[in-house]
Amino acid sequence: MTVNDDEMLELLGRALRTVEPVPDHLIHAARGAWAWRTIDEELAELVFDSALESSGVRSEDTARQLTFRSPGVEIEVMVVEGGGRRIVGQLVPAQEVTVELTGDDGAVEERRTDRLGRFTFDHASAGQVRLTVHGESGAVSTEWTVL
Amino acid sequence: MDNRELLNRVVDGDERAWEKLVERFAGLVWSVARSFRLSAASTDDVVQTVWLRLAEHSARIREPDRLASWLATTARNEALRVIRGHSRLRPSDTIDDHSEPTASSIEDLVTDDVTLRAVLDAFAQLSDDDQRFLRLLCAVPPLDYQTIAELLGRPIGSIGPTRARCIERLRRLLPAGTDPKERLT
Repeated sequence: MTVNDDEMLELLGRALRTVEPVPDHLIHAARGAWAWRTIDEELAELVFDSALESSGVRSEDTARQLTFRSPGVEIEVMVVEGGGRRIVGQLVPAQEVTVELTGDDGAVEERRTDRLGRFTFDHASAGQVRLTVHGESGAVSTEWTVL
Repeated sequence: MDNRELLNRVVDGDERAWEKLVERFAGLVWSVARSFRLSAASTDDVVQTVWLRLAEHSARIREPDRLASWLATTARNEALRVIRGHSRLRPSDTIDDHSEPTASSIEDLVTDDVTLRAVLDAFAQLSDDDQRFLRLLCAVPPLDYQTIAELLGRPIGSIGPTRARCIERLRRLLPAGTDPKERLT
């Protein structure tokens, strides 16, 4: 009559999987992520995100800051809210190159950085995005990140 | 085929290997994302980001044997970003305000199976912390205690005892006359 702990968990797991299976659209999205493998580009990893530093306290006034790092270039990004989401960034070291912003719907926007390596995207969409820097020595893409 | 083999094939351009990985771990990623009780839209964001991360990191996974742990940790980090993010990506996401419906409330879910129904009813009466903990324990393939401890920010030594207490609370909430044994054969 009594079930042991493992059996109880097994039963709960079965119940949860029965009533809340992984939604089809997420399986579909997971399969589709295949198309976004980074093969030729170098990957710039997210090494700092002010959203993870703040001790759980949401600060409304401060812009979120992120740093992506690859061996060749560092991409500093600030997300500014208010009247649309603006992404303001700078490449370190500074370089005049093309920067792309890709949305998870595949939409791509392009900007040319200025002499100081700065770039701005106005009205960035919600959801996952990634930045690609087309430098002299090839392309560097950031990790996909929800901004 | 083990994870290492699948990842190698993914790197070599084998899309079937990727589908196998999705098949193997979709439930796990979903369970971990769900355990944070975010809105449906944000839960979707978390899950999708995890898979994009795996796609771009497939050549860089250092310990393929611990891929479950890598995916769970990535999901945790993304969920925290959503919860703590300065940008109010989805207005309904807050840590302590659950007035917005989460992806689906257990109470609203329907199954005809009497025993499973009883288990879910009991589960729904548990505290948020207990529910979260049990969701992680139920993940398939299972997460090791070390990963669960990291996900919850608790010492690893506390996981075993908490597991026992949590399951006991669940068991006590089962209505008299429920015979779970029946379902397990």
